Amino acid sequence: MASDHLLELVDIQAGYGRAAMVLRGLTVRVPPASVVCLVGPNGAGKSTVLKVASGLLRPRSGRILVDGVDVTGQTPQQMLRSGLAHVLQGHSVFREMTVAENVLLGAYSVRDRSVVAERVAAVQKLFPVVAERWDALAGLLSGGQQKQVEFARSLMVSPKVVLLDEPSMGLDPKTTSIVFEQVVRMRDAGVAVLIVEQNARRALETADIGCVLDLGRVHLSGPAPELLADRRLGEIYLGGRPVTTVPEER
Amino acid sequence: MTSPHLVFQSLVLGVLLGGLYALLAAGLTLYFGVMRVVMIAHSAFLILAAYLAWWFHDRTGIDPLLSLAVTVPLFFVAGVLMQRLLIRRLSPVTLTMMSVLLTFAIALVIEGLLGYVFSGTQRRVQLGYSGSSFEVLGARVAVVKLIAFGLAVVALLGLYLLLKRSRLGQALRATIQHRDAAALVGIDTDRVAGYGFGLGLATAAVGGTALALDSTIYPSLHWHWIGPLMAIIVVGGLGSVPGAAIAAMALGILQSLLQLEMGTTWAQTVFYVALFATLMVRPQGFFGGRLAQRF
Repeated sequence: MASDHLLELVDIQAGYGRAAMVLRGLTVRVPPASVVCLVGPNGAGKSTVLKVASGLLRPRSGRILVDGVDVTGQTPQQMLRSGLAHVLQGHSVFREMTVAENVLLGAYSVRDRSVVAERVAAVQKLFPVVAERWDALAGLLSGGQQKQVEFARSLMVSPKVVLLDEPSMGLDPKTTSIVFEQVVRMRDAGVAVLIVEQNARRALETADIGCVLDLGRVHLSGPAPELLADRRLGEIYLGGRPVTTVPEER
Repeated sequence: MTSPHLVFQSLVLGVLLGGLYALLAAGLTLYFGVMRVVMIAHSAFLILAAYLAWWFHDRTGIDPLLSLAVTVPLFFVAGVLMQRLLIRRLSPVTLTMMSVLLTFAIALVIEGLLGYVFSGTQRRVQLGYSGSSFEVLGARVAVVKLIAFGLAVVALLGLYLLLKRSRLGQALRATIQHRDAAALVGIDTDRVAGYGFGLGLATAAVGGTALALDSTIYPSLHWHWIGPLMAIIVVGGLGSVPGAAIAAMALGILQSLLQLEMGTTWAQTVFYVALFATLMVRPQGFFGGRLAQRF
């Protein structure tokens, strides 16, 4: 069953334990080969969206579709097989393992060794730092390098959609730029990206589609450049500095 | 003044004892590393295995070492089931604290069952080679102690290779280092935690058989073991398998040496002194914190 969208989260309600719902009827759609960005204030439920999409958190209601197939309620292992890879917020490399072990663990569910070798070559090409630091302990790499190892690890399953949670967190502006360039390269390599960012301006400059989240719902969505130019968004979410010019796309 | 000869004898005995401590502490720290579970019943399973070895020998007359062929897989399965049926039902938020209560209860149940089935009588395995010993550079080494040490070393080496080389070992280490990230690369972390628990209990099975070879056993003997083992894994750094092994060896030797001057009862306090000293100087343990994840 084909679909116009690779990933669809439809009317999702989700929360933690007995606490109040974090997501209240959220709908997000990710078309193929695009970068979709979720922005919004703290506590809007941005990370929760990704946890629901990757199976770490089961939604109370709503549907999750990957390529038109309903995958609602699946475990992270099954979601991975359906083609969803999730890169967590902060540092999530296996610190006391080498870069090689980290990347190869990304292919934990792939049994065919020749396929693994092919993908290793591919991610090494996409992220040169992974090849350069192949035998180093991952925990000793810089923050930006660790992020790229995490990206490489997530691509080892050849996912349809990669979910990125705050990839720029804790990184300096220069490293942030490198990381966002890598996001574009992933998209150009044919992977759709759903990205969640506090650094809304930077993320929207990279994204094709932007969604503004507040109180667990999407309040505003559209082509990212238009959102960037939107006065309301500028005032509320981009630090009160209205954007006057539309930045050149990509 | 203690003679150098006696000191050397104690050193040898300390190394032999340290090996057994190391194996048992490795299992105990593994539960904590993988699941943040404090497993009070670890030593109760140790005594259970010792009783099974004794019972096996008593009934069949065959060497109790052969009981390992049954107890190791049996304990592994018991560990997996215990994690699936009991530990997993605890709320993740209070897991560590509640696991103390749960495993304390399990220890009491095992002690009670042992007393009920085998009575409180002290038991000892009598073997053809029980009394034999040989000399190494002037020190007397009992054959049974050497066998116990050999068992511990082989089991520890096996555990190390398994963690380092096998697919399950990779999954276990990944789960210890970052549970969510492990789940997201496709590792079934719940299942892996169960196997981790099984491995921990398997070390108790090996340790119990080794213990049965040269100790008198009785149902409440496990209380005598759990304190020192807990102290060892805190000194070594909670969750660190090599830390546990090294601390176990060091404290085992120290205990054995102190016995010369202080007698067995006071020498036992070395574990608690080391525990308090560690908590004051280096609360994360000597291989704790980030180092705990290194193999």
